Parts: sequence; structure tokens; C-alpha cells
Amino acid sequence: MSTRKFSIFRYNPITPEVKPFMQEYTIEEPPGMTIFVALNKIREELDPTLMFDFVCRAAICGSCAMIINGKPRLACKTLTSDLKGTVTLMPLPVFKLIGDLSVDTGTWFRHLSVKTKSWIHSSKEFDPNAPEDRMDNETALEIYEAERCIECGCCIAGCVTANIREDFLGAAGINRVARFMVDPRDERSKEEYFDVIGSDEGAFGCMGLMACDDNCPMQLPLQLQLSFVRRKMVSFGLSIK
Amino acid sequence: MSNYTTIVSDVLVVGAGLAGERAAIEAASRGLDVIILSLVPPRRSHSTAAQGGCQASLGNCAMGSGDNTDVHFADTVKGSDWGCDQEVARLFVETAPKAVRQMSMWGVPWNRVVGGKKTLPDGREVEDPKEKEGLITARDFGGTAKWRTCYTADGAGHTLQYAVDSVVIKLGITVHDRTEAISLIHDGETCLGVVARCLKTGELRIYLAKSTVIATGGYGRLYGASTNAIINEGNGMSIALNTGLVPLGNMEAVQFHPTGMVPVWILITEGARGDGGYLLDKNHHRFMPDYEPKKKELASRDVVSRRMIQHIRKGHGVDSPYGPHLWLDIRHLGAKHINTNLREIANICKNFNGIDPVNALIPVRPTQHYSMGGVRTNIDGQVYGLKGLFAVGEAACWDLHGFNRLGGNSLAETIVSGWIVGKKMAEYTLGAAELNYQYNNVQGFAKEQQERINNLIAGKQGKENVYALRKEMEQTLMDYVGIFRNGPDLQKAVDNLKEIYHRSLKIGLQSSGKGANPELSTCLRMPGMLRLALCISYGALTRTESRGSHAREDFPKRDDANWLKRTLAYWKEGSDLPDLQYEPVKITELPPGDRGYGESSASSAEGKKQN
Amino acid sequence: MLVQKILTRNPKAELYYDLVELFTGITLVGFLWTHMLFVSTILLGSDLFNTLSKSLDDYYLSYVGIPFIVLVFIMHILSAGRRLPTRYQEQKIIWRHAKMLQGTDTWVWVFQAITGAAIFALASIHMFVVLTGWPITATTSAGRVEAFWWFYLVLLLLGEYHAGFGIYRQFVKWGWFPRKPLGYVSKLITVIILTLGVAALWVFLQLGGA
Ligand SMILES: Cc1cc2nc3c(=O)[nH]c(=O)nc-3n(C[C@H](O)[C@H](O)[C@H](O)COP(=O)(O)OP(=O)(O)OC[C@H]3O[C@@H](n4cnc5c(N)ncnc54)[C@H](O)[C@@H]3O)c2cc1C
Ligand code: HEM
Ligand code: SF4
Ligand code: SF4
Ligand code: FES
Repeated sequence: MSTRKFSIFRYNPITPEVKPFMQEYTIEEPPGMTIFVALNKIREELDPTLMFDFVCRAAICGSCAMIINGKPRLACKTLTSDLKGTVTLMPLPVFKLIGDLSVDTGTWFRHLSVKTKSWIHSSKEFDPNAPEDRMDNETALEIYEAERCIECGCCIAGCVTANIREDFLGAAGINRVARFMVDPRDERSKEEYFDVIGSDEGAFGCMGLMACDDNCPMQLPLQLQLSFVRRKMVSFGLSIK
Repeated sequence: MSNYTTIVSDVLVVGAGLAGERAAIEAASRGLDVIILSLVPPRRSHSTAAQGGCQASLGNCAMGSGDNTDVHFADTVKGSDWGCDQEVARLFVETAPKAVRQMSMWGVPWNRVVGGKKTLPDGREVEDPKEKEGLITARDFGGTAKWRTCYTADGAGHTLQYAVDSVVIKLGITVHDRTEAISLIHDGETCLGVVARCLKTGELRIYLAKSTVIATGGYGRLYGASTNAIINEGNGMSIALNTGLVPLGNMEAVQFHPTGMVPVWILITEGARGDGGYLLDKNHHRFMPDYEPKKKELASRDVVSRRMIQHIRKGHGVDSPYGPHLWLDIRHLGAKHINTNLREIANICKNFNGIDPVNALIPVRPTQHYSMGGVRTNIDGQVYGLKGLFAVGEAACWDLHGFNRLGGNSLAETIVSGWIVGKKMAEYTLGAAELNYQYNNVQGFAKEQQERINNLIAGKQGKENVYALRKEMEQTLMDYVGIFRNGPDLQKAVDNLKEIYHRSLKIGLQSSGKGANPELSTCLRMPGMLRLALCISYGALTRTESRGSHAREDFPKRDDANWLKRTLAYWKEGSDLPDLQYEPVKITELPPGDRGYGESSASSAEGKKQN
Repeated sequence: MLVQKILTRNPKAELYYDLVELFTGITLVGFLWTHMLFVSTILLGSDLFNTLSKSLDDYYLSYVGIPFIVLVFIMHILSAGRRLPTRYQEQKIIWRHAKMLQGTDTWVWVFQAITGAAIFALASIHMFVVLTGWPITATTSAGRVEAFWWFYLVLLLLGEYHAGFGIYRQFVKWGWFPRKPLGYVSKLITVIILTLGVAALWVFLQLGGA
């Protein structure tokens, strides 16, 4: 069986005296090996201290994003056979490092939800005995299209703006707002939406480099969403006093 | 003086999946102070992986017309092979439609009825009524008389979890993610909270609360091939079992999903068959109608899984390096349908197998999928044996599913039981006295865990390798406690697991164990996982009948005379086997009878022969 | 950037900045490309070049156009310049980021910023030199090019790069066109203008100053 070399970023915040470094491991490479399989093998056979995150291992939960040969990707759905030479793994930038390849995306994304007030704003009371409000199936699908984001952080890590501006909500944040704007159940006014995202933290901060659009593992139509929100914010912004 | 950070709240919810968060919302909206603990950020919980959908008898779409709570009740009871608690099932089916509508208010973009004629993949013509247009629609799932499974394209669990979590955020409920409960704290009568380990720093903390809720999901990862997320290790169940006071119910009831994709065991949702997918053998023959003329691919999961294994055993499987498998064929559904309604399946096939289901067959084999068993509770979600302790969701044995859960009933269970149990738990908490605990007792629980950690690091008890033990456990369950079971195999499993269990008490760490060391996390869980594995195997060995997913080759018939009862497994300190007790199953409406499908049914092909 | 600080108190300031960035960007690109077309009339002969220059002068287009462009130029610097990382810390992040990530996008942006700053300097000099040598004729231009051809070549390359990618990104940001074809078209135009520009430079060099 052929072998494969991995070069992996190592740093553990509890031992700050050990400066960050790249560590190399070589393992056997069976056909169809993913980075998920490889990292577990390294941990179980070579180095039980190696930190990384996986949950669903099926590209559904968004836990395992990392920089793989220079690109932010989901490790669980990256086949080593699609990569050339040594596989270099780095943690996602922007997010707080927990150790090695593990970063704290959870806190970041909770902040995003709080900041963009990501819940349905409705004045209606729930009546358990009433039938549901009707909705066009097309609308439901449109909402779902934006809601498919799995909060993996690939779009944030690859984004220059997010790397310079700590408060930039990134494509995931702008896409999140788009999800609520197309939802007829959300009663927020133009002012409220503008307040949430009509600034350089949101829609106007984006510089249109489209790293997000290229890197999103869910293939969300981020360019469309970013420009949709930008145009909406201009029209909201110009029409409110 | 305490060494441990101590955090006090009214309610402590362990687990941020759908069930846990839904229960937390009930408590928080009654003004209680709630903290949720989770191994991972809530939106990464295993619930998000559920793709198929959620059952509720709304009866809006044409194929669901005439549906009502009674039909749903009957399906659920039959599905459970009369193993479920019928009072619970009744409460559940009555609440499910309301819960689904509530989720719609909270933001789930359920797919909706589009009026007009359409042709189903099998050629049938249906017409969805215009006057129902825009109401929540449903798809077909196994074991149901009507189309009842509400869905959002291929992301039901994802959208449900995001909607419920959005309410958690709106209410400002505190979530401590990357925090693992590793022991319950109790005084022999009342549960007082948990000892938890921070998975960012490795720090031990004490959480105290008037009510504690276990909502930690299933234990799929005890098996080597499972559709479950890798964090589903049954943690919550094992910390409950470890008290010695709390029983686990029906642990031998393990569901296998018919279509795990070979060789990565990622689930291909039942929606694929619900939407008209076929199962084919090595000769590309559609074999399910031969066994199950009525329900074909859509008989309940236990039946389809067994039929598949049966067919493979007859030599009709496709050989592969990963063992024989069968094919799932969805090609005839067309590129448009596959790339929209079943997009996630298409992606999974492409990413993990390099195949495109629009023109290729998908290799599948039955794979461990769901745990019907769990922490035994009463209808209010109150755990047997300890006051102030509740359990919900897959971690619980509320006993809605008996010996086989219907697809789509488990997402529905999380939002229904989260709601109901959440309410009962909140009421209990509001009525409960102030937290009353002995300082030394509480500290003692934390010290005990600290000592385990110290011993593991020092290698004081031995030098067993945790990963090696884990592989042996996984393999034992796969080989001897699978879909078809028999006495000698189960005995072998129990013997092996006992031996591995003893070795697991002698694990030593290879690494330093400093901070959030991942090896240490696994070591801490290992003995608990083995206890669960023993509850499963020993329960299965003892139950000398076949019921639902528990199929004994040496006892192929359901035996209502002796076994219409629920297993309760207790773990006495120092023991290496669970102590099994039994309680009767509550039958209130539907007496045991014929399921209408499966080996013993009059309507299935073999059933006919037998009659 | 005191002006910005004060303006930012207005909740809509960033919206206005973004719009100003859009309009000034498009105007400057429009200007640059027309300007290059005008300059390259030299390819068709000195007479045509001189006639064009004179008629622009006669109809006062130069006297309205140039101050307008200078104004737009300044406004563009203010609005687009707000994105330039000012602190050393931020610059370090960008470089690290650009090196770690394989994608070309970060480099595109780094170049956008660098070329922008360079153009600011070069274009100002260029305008100063041209305006002090008024009026524009084939002979005076040829003289300038002969003396400073390398200066013009650099300005041409930087300006075109900056304008080409700039306009592409503006359109992408506002979502008026899909990304792929847009990239194609903007690259094509850039190549055409560059060719014209280089050719014009060559002709000027051949002409030589009188
Ligand atoms: C691939 C797949 C597809 C499925 N599809 C469907 C479907 O279509 N329809 C359907 O009805 N059902 C489906 N199911 C079943 C259903 O998804 C689960 O049963 C259900 O989501 C369980 O929800 P839960 O809230 O109980 O647990 P989970 O969602 O598993 O949540 C458990 C939570 O507990 C936390 N936790 C665990 N241990 C600890 C600990 N020690 N300390 C702190 N926190 C802890 C975890 O971090 C997590 O937040 C599917 C299951 C699988 C595997
Ligand atoms: C020949 C004159 C110029 C033309 C035709 C021109 C054109 C453009 C265009 C169309 C953009 C839009 C890109 C965007 O907004 O995202 C842009 C961006 C930019 N311009 Fe200019 N520009 C010129 C001069 C200058 C000058 C003198 C500077 C001096 C600093 C400058 C700095 C910038 C910067 C930093 C950006 C990047 C903004 C961003 O990335 O969003 N430009 N330019
Ligand atoms: S397009 Fe905007 S959000 Fe996306 S990477 Fe670029 S700057 Fe970031
Ligand atoms: S938008 Fe895409 S890349 Fe960004 S977090 Fe969501 S899924 Fe990940
Ligand atoms: S582990 Fe869930 S997305 Fe990779």
C-alpha cells in the first residue's frame, strides 16, 4: 500500500512555552481515505495528543473545517487521493484556537446569531389548535436554500475582510440575514434589517473577492445572496429617514 | 475550600440536541434559570443529521388524506411490535401535529402542498387538493399507512435544530458547549447535578441544579458500523446507569437501518425509498416484493433489514472487499428530483463514494442506526430511581418505540417529548424546595472523577490501550449482537465484553493527558460504554423471543405470554453484569396482534406459506 | 481619518461610502478607458490626435472634464481607501493570510490596494505634468513619453490592472451579472486597452519629441 505524508500544525495553549510548529506524520493510504480517516489513524496509532474535531463525518454538521493544502475545506469529505503530495493541515484562521486543528467556531457563530437576531420576529401567539399559516412551496424552498448553511466557517476563514475586521459578519452572516428577509413569517421592518446589517460590519464591508463563494462546501449561492442583501440594504437605507 | 468551579442554576440540561433544547425552552419560558451542556455547539448535535423527516398526522397531501391520530397510533404500536407504552404513544400522536405546527411558527420551512395532478415514480396518479395548497405536506416512510412524514427537502433535522436553537438564542439561554458531563451528582434520593469536564481546557466543574435533564442522544458508536455521529457514545445513559439506582430500559432493542452506504456507513435516508427507490440484488432483481408483497421496500426498518440480510445469506449479495452488500436504485426518479429533493443523498454519494446516483447504483447494507432503549422514565419524563432527574429524546426510554422505532417518529419524539417533559420538569422545578446538598458529598463526586483522571495519567491501574479495547468492543457487537441473534453468539458476546470490561478498568494513558487531551476523554468514557454494551448483549441473551428489531434465530416467534414486558437493566457497584428486572408493558387500546408485515405476518409472502 | 470618524456616527454613512465607491469607481474606469481610446488615436496619425485634443479644448470639455475627474479621483480615494488596513497589525494579518491561503483572491486584493496607492502617486504626477505642459499635442506628448516611457508603462499596467479587477469586483458585489462571463469580459477589455496603450506608447516613442 502507498503511504502519505502529512504536515500538521501543532500548538496547545496550555503549554505556551512550546511555540507553534509543523509536525510530520507518515501513514499508509488505503483507497478512498478521507482526512477524517487519516487523522483518526494518526491519533490512534502515532500521536494520541492530536486535537481535531469531527461529529457527523458526513459533511452535515460543519465541525471539521480546516485549511487543507491552502484551502478551507471540510476534512471529512476531502479524499486524500484528490490532493497532491504532502497534505498540509492548518486550523482555520479568524476563530479562536483551542489546540492544533481545533478552533472555537461555536462561540463565533452564536455571536453571529445574536448580532443578526437570527430568529423569526413575529407578533403572533402560537395557537396549538389552529392549522398552520399557509406558505408557498417555492418560498419554503427559497428559505431552505439559504438555511442550508452549516456554520462551518470556511467562508469566514478565506475572507480577507473577516481576517482584518473582527466585527465583520462575513458571508455566513449576510446569508443568514437573507434567509430571514425572504421569510414571510418574519415581520421585521426595513429599519430593523438595516440596523442589523446595513454597515461595514455587514453588507457594505464585503469587498467582493468571492473567496466565500469559492470555498463554501455546501455550494450556497453566496455571490447572489451577498449582492441581494447589498442591493436591499441600499434600497432600505435610501427609503428610511 | 473547593477546588472546583461550581455553577448553580434551576435547571441543567445535559445535551443540546433537539430534545434537550426543546425542553430547555419550556423551562426558560417559565422564568427558570437554565444551563445547557453539550459536547459540541448545539447546531452540530446529531439531530442535524436527520434528513428524512418527522411524523405528524396532518393529512394534508393527497396520499395522507384520511390520516388522523388513531392511524398514527396504530402504526406506532404495530411498529414497536407491541413493545411501546400505549399511554405514551397516545399522548405522542395527539401532540405531534401541534408540535410540527409550532416548529413552523419558529421558522422551519416545511415543504408545502402544491395542488394539482402528479405521477408517482411507480406510475400511480395522484391529485393534491387545491384547497390544501400551502399547508405542510408529507412524504412516505416505512411502516406507515399514510404519507405522514413532514420534511424540508433533505434537511428536516437541520432546519428543526436551527429553528429550536434560534429560540434558545432568542431567550438568551446559557449554553456551555464543549463540556462533557462525566458523572451525576446525587444523594441517593435526589439528583443534584453533574460533574463535567471542559473539553477546551480539561478543567473539572461542578454543576448543581434542582432539575437535571439527560438529553444526550443515542449510543450508535458502540457498534463498528453505525450511521450515527461519532459523538454518539451513549454517555448520558452510562452516567445514569453508573448511579446504580437508575435503570436503562430495553437496551437490547437496537435498530438497524436498511441503507447505510458501504463502506463509510453514512445513512442514505429512507426518503430515497419513500420517494420510490428500489432495492436490487446482484442480478439487479428487485427482491423486496418477493418477501413483502404489500409494503415492499417500505415495510418497517427491522423487517427490511432482516429481509436484506436473509437475501444476502441466500447468496444474492454483491461481493465487495467490505463484505457482501445490495444495491439501492434511485435512477428512475430522474436527475431533477434527485438533485433537488434528494440533493443531500446525491452529494453524499459523490463526496464519499465518487458515484452519481442519477446514473449509478448505491451500495448499501443494514447498519446500526437507532437505540430504542435508554434511561427509563415515566410518562412525564421522570427517571426511575432518582428525584429531580429527567430524560428525553433518544437517550430516554419514554417508551414510544418499543422494539422498533418508525422512521420519522424520532424527530417527532424529540419535539413532542421535549415539549411535554420540559413542561413537567419546569413544573417540578418551580415546586421544588431550594437546592439542599451536603458540601462533602458534592465535592466527593468531583474528587472521584479527579482521581480516575490521575490514575489514568499515572497508569496506576494498568497500561491497556484504549483504542485497542474500543475496536474489540465494536467488533464484538457487530459480530454477535447484530440483526440476527442467537444464544451461542450472544453468550460469546457477553463473555468477550466482560473480559474487555475488566481490562477497561486497567487502561493507562499513552500521552500526558494534559488539558483537553482527546485520549483522556475516550478513556474516561470507555468503561461506561462497555457497561452499555453488556446491557445490550445480556438483555438480548436473556430475552428468548423475537420482537421488533430483536430477532432471535433460535426463538423466531414473538412470545406475548412470557415476554410482553420491558427489560430494566441496573448496574450494581462492583458487578460485571447488569442486574435485569422486568416490568409489564402497558396495553391500553390495541391488544397484541398481527403487524401486517414481517416474517410472522399473514400478508407477507412467507407468512402466507406458513399459514 | 478624522472625517470618517465623524461621518461614521451617521448610521447611513457606510451606505453612502459604498455608493460613492461604486459611482466613482465606475466613472474612473469609464474615464480611463475613454482616455486610453483618445490617446490611442495617435495610432491613426498625429493629425487626428491633435484635432481631437483641440476640439475637446474648443468645446471646453477639458475644462469641465478634468476638474470633475480630479474631484471623482479624490472622492474615490476617500471612499475606497477606507478599506485599506492602516494598522501594522492588520497588514501583518493580510500578508500571513495571503501566504497561507492558496486562493488567488487575497493576492488580487493585496494588489488592488498596492496598485491603488501607486496610482494615487503616479496619476497625480502625470496630471500635474500634463496640466503644466498645456495644451496637449502629439509633439508634446511624444516628448513626455520619450523622456518618461517607463513611467507611462508602469502607470498603464497598474491603472489597467486596478481598473479591470475593480470593475469586475464592483459588478460581482452588486450582482448584476454572473461571475464567470463577467470575468471573461473584463479580462478581454483589459487586454484590448492594454494592447492599445502599449501600441500608443510605441508610436509616441517612434515619433520622438521635436
Ligand atoms: C443519520 C441519521 C438520520 C436520521 N434521520 C431521521 C429522520 O429522518 N427522522 C427521524 O425521525 N429520526 C431520524 N434519525 C434519528 C434522530 O435524528 C435522532 O434520534 C434524534 O435527533 C436524537 O435527538 P436527541 O436530541 O435525543 O439527541 P442528539 O441530537 O443526538 O443530541 C445529543 C446532545 O447531547 C450532547 N451530549 C452527549 N453526551 C453528552 C455529555 N456527556 N455531556 C454533555 N453533553 C452531551 C451532544 O453534544 C448533543 O448536543 C436519524 C438518525 C441518524 C443517525
Ligand atoms: C485611474 C484612476 C482609477 C481608476 C480608474 C480606479 C478604479 C477603481 C475601481 C473601479 C475600483 C472598484 C473596486 C471596488 O470598489 O471594490 C477601485 C477600487 C480601489 N481603488 Fe481605485 N481607481 C483609480 C484610482 C485609484 C487611486 C488613485 C487610488 C489610491 C489609493 C485607488 C485606490 C483604490 C483602492 C484601495 C481600491 C480597493 C477598494 C476595494 O478593494 O474595495 N484607486 N478603483
Ligand atoms: S466576497 Fe465579501 S464576504 Fe465573501 S470572501 Fe470576499 S469580502 Fe468576504
Ligand atoms: S456559508 Fe457556506 S462556507 Fe460559510 S459557514 Fe455556511 S456553509 Fe460554511
Ligand atoms: S464532521 Fe460534520 S461536517 Fe465534517
